[in-house]
Formats: sequence, C-alpha cells, structure tokens
Amino acid sequence: MDTYDTADSDYHPMLRRLIKLGLFLLVQGIAVILVACVALLVSFEPGWSATSEQASLLQPGDARSGSLLLKDDGATVEAIRLGIDVDINVSGPTLRARVTQVFRNPTRNWVEATYVYPLATNGAVDTLKMVVGDRVIVGDIKERQQARVIYEQARRQGQKAALTEQERPNIFTNSVANLGPGETVLVQIEYQEPVHQSGNEYSLRLPLVVGPRYNPAPIVQSVDFRQDGSGWGATHSDPVPDRDRISPPLLDPASNAPVNPTSITVHLKAGFALGEVKSHHHAIKVESPDNMTRVVTLADGTVPADRDFELTWKPAAEKAPSVALFHERVGDADYLLAFVTPPGAEASTRKSLPREVVFVIDNSGSMGGTSIVQAKASLTYALSRLQPNDRFNVIRFDDTMDMLFPASVPADAAHVGDATSFVSALQARGGTEMVPAMRAALTDKLADTGMVRQIVFLTDGAIGNEQQLFETITAMRGRSRVFMVGIGSAPNTYLMTRAAELGRGAFTHIGSVEQVEERMRGLFAKLENPAVTGLSATFSEARADVTPAIIPDVYRDEPLVLAARLDRLAGSLEIKGRVGDRPWSVTLPLQNAAEGKGLSKLWARRKIGDAEAARSMREMTPEDSDKAILAMALDHQIVTRLTSLVAVDKTPSRPEGMPLQLSELPINLPAGWDFEKVFGERPNVTPTQLRERHADAHDQPAARRPAPVVPDAIRLPKTATSAELKMITGLILIVLALILFVFNRRRPLLTDAA
Amino acid sequence: MLRLISPIALAIVGILLFGDGTYIHGKAWLAQLLLNCAFDRSVATGEAVKPWSWADMWPIARIEVKRIGASAIVLEGTSGQALAFGPGHLSQTIDAGERGIAVYAAHRDTHFRFLKNVAIGDVVDVTRIDGQHFRYRMDSSAVVNFDASGLEHATQDFELVLATCWPFDAVTSGPERYILHATLIGTGR
Repeated sequence: MDTYDTADSDYHPMLRRLIKLGLFLLVQGIAVILVACVALLVSFEPGWSATSEQASLLQPGDARSGSLLLKDDGATVEAIRLGIDVDINVSGPTLRARVTQVFRNPTRNWVEATYVYPLATNGAVDTLKMVVGDRVIVGDIKERQQARVIYEQARRQGQKAALTEQERPNIFTNSVANLGPGETVLVQIEYQEPVHQSGNEYSLRLPLVVGPRYNPAPIVQSVDFRQDGSGWGATHSDPVPDRDRISPPLLDPASNAPVNPTSITVHLKAGFALGEVKSHHHAIKVESPDNMTRVVTLADGTVPADRDFELTWKPAAEKAPSVALFHERVGDADYLLAFVTPPGAEASTRKSLPREVVFVIDNSGSMGGTSIVQAKASLTYALSRLQPNDRFNVIRFDDTMDMLFPASVPADAAHVGDATSFVSALQARGGTEMVPAMRAALTDKLADTGMVRQIVFLTDGAIGNEQQLFETITAMRGRSRVFMVGIGSAPNTYLMTRAAELGRGAFTHIGSVEQVEERMRGLFAKLENPAVTGLSATFSEARADVTPAIIPDVYRDEPLVLAARLDRLAGSLEIKGRVGDRPWSVTLPLQNAAEGKGLSKLWARRKIGDAEAARSMREMTPEDSDKAILAMALDHQIVTRLTSLVAVDKTPSRPEGMPLQLSELPINLPAGWDFEKVFGERPNVTPTQLRERHADAHDQPAARRPAPVVPDAIRLPKTATSAELKMITGLILIVLALILFVFNRRRPLLTDAA
Repeated sequence: MLRLISPIALAIVGILLFGDGTYIHGKAWLAQLLLNCAFDRSVATGEAVKPWSWADMWPIARIEVKRIGASAIVLEGTSGQALAFGPGHLSQTIDAGERGIAVYAAHRDTHFRFLKNVAIGDVVDVTRIDGQHFRYRMDSSAVVNFDASGLEHATQDFELVLATCWPFDAVTSGPERYILHATLIGTGR
C-alpha cells in the first residue's frame, strides 16, 4: 500500500506539474507573441542589426580616386605604368585643361588598361586624342552603347583603341585596348570648366583624388551640379578635410607597385593685373612674364596623385571686377557668359536686418547614429549664433511633430537656453513626416515684414514623397527663405538642393561632426548678410536661352553667373533685383563682351545638368530628358552619361615583342617631361590598383575570385541579425528557469516525503 | 517566496530575449507583406507608395527565384534599418538591368535565408519599381571577406550579385559573406 500510495501521490502531482508546465508554456508563448506584437506596433524603427558603421564604410567614393584597374584573371600586378600631365590654360572666366595620360606596358602580354579618374564636376570633356607611335588619332563623340561597340570591335580585331566614358558626373574612365608588350600609348583628353569666384578670390581645383571616402559619389556630384546651376556654390571651394586619408595603404607598395606621377602646369591669364597666386596643397613655382600672366608649375616637378591641386589668385587691385562679360560664336549662335557681383554683396556687409529664424530638426529613426549627433551639434551652434534682437523657434519632427514655442520668441538667454536643452534631449526614432513640419515652419505667424524670415531645415531627407514637399514649399514659401542642411553621409541631395532652390535659400552639406562648425559658419555668413533677391535677366534684343532658368538669390561674396545662348549678339542684358529693400539693376551692353573660349560647352554642360536634375525631380520623363541630353551632348561634343568618346587606330598593331623606343614617342609630348623620371621607380608613391586584361583572352564570366584588397571593390554590409542568438539564449534561460522552478517545488515535497 | 525570484527573473529575461528575437523575425515577415502590397501598387500606379504611413524607405524591386518559390522586395540602401525590413540595394552600385554590377544584400537568417537553396543555373527574376523586368542566371558563387568582395563597379556585362552573411547557420556575425553572381539573360516588358 505504501508503495502504491507513494506512487499515487507522486504520479498525480507529476501530472499536475506537467499540465502546469504545459499551461505555463502556453501562457509564455502568448506573452512572447504579445511582446513581439506590441514591440512591432510601438516602433518599427530600431535596427537590431544596426549596420550604420558598416553602411558608412559602404558609401566610399570608391571609384572616385584616380586608379588604374586590373582585371583579376591571374595577371601579375607588375603591369601598366601610368604617368599624368595636366596642362591648364586659364583665360578670364574659363579654363581649358589638357590631361595627358601615358600608358606603358612593361609586361610581355598584350593588355587592356582602364584608368578611372576624377574630373571637375562641371567640366565638359570634349576631346579625346590617342597617340600611338607617331600617329595621332582623334576620338569621335558617339552614343555610349555605340562607342562601346566600336571599341569592343577594335579590341577583338587587335586594333588599338581608346574610349572615354563618364561613369558619374565627375568620374571618367579611359580604356586603352591592345597595348603591346613594352608599348607606350598616350591618351589625351581635354575639358572646359568655369573658373570659380568667391568674393575677391578666384580659384581652380584639379581633383587628383576625390573627397572623403564616406561621401557617396552621387551626393557630392549633384551638390556641385545644382550649385552650379545656382552660381558656383560653396561645395566647390570646400576644402576636403581628410584628404590624407584618401591614399589607401591597402596594397603593399612593393618595388613593382605602379606609380602615377603627375605634373601640372597652369598658364594663368586672368584678364586683370594679378596679385597673390597661391597653391593650397602643393609647393609651386610661379613665373610672371607680365603683370596679367602667371605660369605655375610644381616645385618638385611631379607629385604622386594623392591630393587635389587647388590654386587661387587675387587681383592686384583691392576689389575684383564686379562685372565680366564674355561671348563666343559657334555655328550660327552666340554664347554668353556673364558674371555680376551685386553691389550690396560688397557694400552693406554688416547692416543686417533683424531676423526670424525657424529651425526644423529631423529626429526620425533614419537619423540614428552619428547623424543625430551632427544635427544636434549644428543646431546648438546655430542657436548660439542668434542675436538678441532676432526671433526664433524650434520644430522637431519624426512621424510626430513638436513646436517648442507657439510662435517665434525673442532670442534672449532664457529662450535660447530652453531651446538648447530641448535640442540636447532629442533622440532619433520613428518615421519621417516632413511635410507637416515644413508647413508649420512656413506658416508666417508674425507676418512682420521688418524682419527677414529664414527657415533652417536639418535632415537627411530620407523620404519618398519629395514632390509633396516641393509643392508645399512652392505654395507656402511667401517671403520665407528655406536653407536646407543635409546631415550625414548620404543625405538625399536632390531633395535638399531642390527644396533650397524652391525656397530660394541654399543647401549646406555636413558630412561629419568635424565639419559642423565650419559649414554652419558658412551658412550663417549667408543668413546674416542680405542677399540680392528677386533676380531676373532680360535681353533687350536677342532671343536667349538662359541657364539657370530661374535665377536664385545671390549671397555675399558670390557672383551671379549666367550662361546663355543668343541668336545674335546685339542690344543689352539687364539684370534686376533687390538688395535688402532697395531695387538694383545693371545693364550690360553685349557689344562690350570680350572674346571667350569654350563658352558653348559650358552652356551645354549646364543645360545637361539642368536636364539631369529635371529628370531626377520627375519634372521631365526619363525618356525626354535623355533625349534632350543626348541631343545636346552630340551637338556640343561632350562626354555625358549617354555619350562617350572613342578613338580607333585603323592600322594594325605592331608585331608582338617589339618594344616602343623612346625616340618613337611623338614630339608633342607635354613640355618638361622627363621619361626616366616618370617611369623610374618611386618607392613612396601611392600605389594604384591595376586592372589588366589580356587582349586576346576570351571573356569568361567565370567565378570571381576575391581580388587583393582593393579600394575599388564593393564592400558588403553586415547581413546577420542577432535574432537567432537572442532566441536561443532566451530559450535556454526559460528552460533554466523552469528547471529551477521545478527543482524548487520538488525539494519541499522530497523533504516532506523524507 | 524567495526561491521563486530567481526562476522568475530568469524567465522574464528569457522571455524578453526570446521576444526580441521573434520580433526581428516578425518585423522582417510583416514588413515584407506590407512592402509586397506597396510594391504592387507602385508598379500599378507608377508612383512611389509607402509601405506604411511613417516609413522612411521605399521598395525599388522584387526578386524572385521561381524554382524554389522564393521572393523578396528590395529596398534602397543597406542601413541596418532598411535591412531589418528587406534586402537592400547597395546604393553605390547601379540599378538592376543597367550595365555594371547591382548588389542586393540581406540578412542570412531572414530574407536571404533562401540563398542557401539557390543553385548555379537558377534563374532570378528582378522586377523594378518602374515595371521593367529582368531575368538573370546564377553563374557562380563565392565566399569572400566583406572588404574584399572582388566585385568592381565597372564591369562589361549586366550583372547582379546577391550577398548575405556566411555561414548560414552561425549565430554570431562574422566577416565572411556569401555572394551569388548572376548575369543578365533577358529583359521583358
């Protein structure tokens, strides 16, 4: 009996316990599902497998530094050598650059070399020449696909061919096919670019490497693009802060590492008596044949292509000329380039009107990580710059929205203090509903016309309903000016530039915390100084196609730059606007325009930029804009997304194994070249990457081997969640808890039984 | 009473962790449902439709491997946030269907779990948000390090790469990635 009893009493509690356990598990399951659902509904935002670090690594302008590429089909790294010579002619408002790349093949194989290199964003590449032996082959502009076909055909037939393609607006590639053993081929491209002017200072920048790696390529390009449309924006003159980071120490600079020494010559004919001429990153030698001309060369002869070359010059006189007018006749049309520095921008520097500033900060989930830190730092800096007689307000938004003060308040210490603590408490979460915030910011409650009304909008622009935002700005802008501040490594630049343009403000990009102060200071210089507004340009007699079509406001130190195509050069150009509250106008007789060069190309380049922008804004259908771009590009012989330059040497290539002698090189070599030096070993020079293709090898889509770590390679993001780990750990813990629970319950029973 | 505290505390932590893990999967699954609807509507209307009202990303393409019945909606960008909802398109690579290399990446334990069943020779269908349809065939696979993918921007062909973390059954993340390479074999509509 005893035994039965024990068994009985043991059996039933066991069953009960099992039922309990089952119930417990069931309840737990429900709880888990509830927790999951609640969490899902409460916030869709947090990235559990947050890869923002990785993501920022992913956005490098990888292909943006000049690099010679090597196809990874097992070829040796000891391959094509490259030397670069840049010859720049500055004449007045434009510059024409001739970039000569020397490809030399020291291997025993026939190879195809591709050189990826950066160029100025608003440059118009229009000439390709290939020099083989003593023959010069001039490239033709063709539709991109067609050019590619011609090139491939020549490559297969063993003919020498060169191809210039635009990868992105500021990235080009030059390919040379059938480079024989020991052979040297020169590839020369030429491009036209406007000179940048800011206040009293003129500058040119030759990108030898491009930008910080965390700046994704399309962003920077399009900044330049649109800014170009609005008069050479600030981006162009921005220093690249971490230039030294660019040269990737990824390939061991072994003795056979390729070198790409670069030599630079600038013939500077500014059109006025020159004062200081300065290079910012390179030691230079300056010769002065006369007071309006300078010849600038590198002090060291050649340099490794690891830093951008930047040259600035100033007029000898205190002030730069405030008006410049140039024209060029091409075909049956005249092309005009006008620079006008409005007087207000110089004279009334410190007589600023009181302002009403509305700051809008995006604290949505996409701003998580460093973006929100940058945004908060920027806004805190901005608050500290307010003057006591200014008024301000702060709006934060995600998918909800808060306005700090019901209406704008005076910027006294108490209010600014409130705002600062409000901002520092912000956290990135939630979705992005930008339109209500923009609407609230644009609502002009004070309607005080004695004040300048400005909106500073800080966001990464991660939204899809851009059009709606544009419509809001257009409908409600009134007298407000919208200044977009793009935050983070990959802000939606099209949104920003377009919104700033519609809001007649400016776009500032802040890509890192270090840039906050410098960029915000630049922005405040604009905010605090009166702009020339309501600008319009009219031609008295000529029919004109002007770009930009809608003239933006012009801020301090910025000239208004107009390019136009005229049916005839007659009459005058009148520019009207308002400086502060005074009307201003200037009339430029077109007859006085000086002869300029390459203006048609600049005009076409800007029209192409406009069309590209219209395409991305969906103002034009892709087909329409492509058609417009193609027509423009073919007409003006410019390399674009849709057109390439191709040159084919019809004569058969020289027999294998016959090295090209130095004496065979063409006489029109860039001046001052020392071939021994160019091709000599320079151990400390930045290694480039190489891609080489055996011209006679078949194209095989074979498995891609992991190449040596090259900066051009695409980095892959982190693609594992911690879900499984969490679930497994969670289960283990639950089981542990159950065991403990059961064990604890059992112990008293056991002791009772005992 | 005291002896109950430790198992209950353990159980709570366990439930939270488990819930967290389930939440990741739940979110991935639910987001794809919503994205699917949004994508269909986008294709139909020709306008970008948000999958849910507060979303700050949008679908750009659908990928399908019909043989194993797998499909997923691809989002623009590969931030952690986008990847939580669906495969992401590496924004510095070109769009599918263009000359060059388009790279889609997703988590190995959610949207790209099916990659382990994809074999060389399988056909991958990509429908872009503009309604254009592209057909790729898998021609190679490789395991690479994340920073040495061997993938280059400038390629001659029309290429697609699907990438995820490797190995599939690991529970912690590592530097290795599994890449499936495909080449365009046809376009439609």
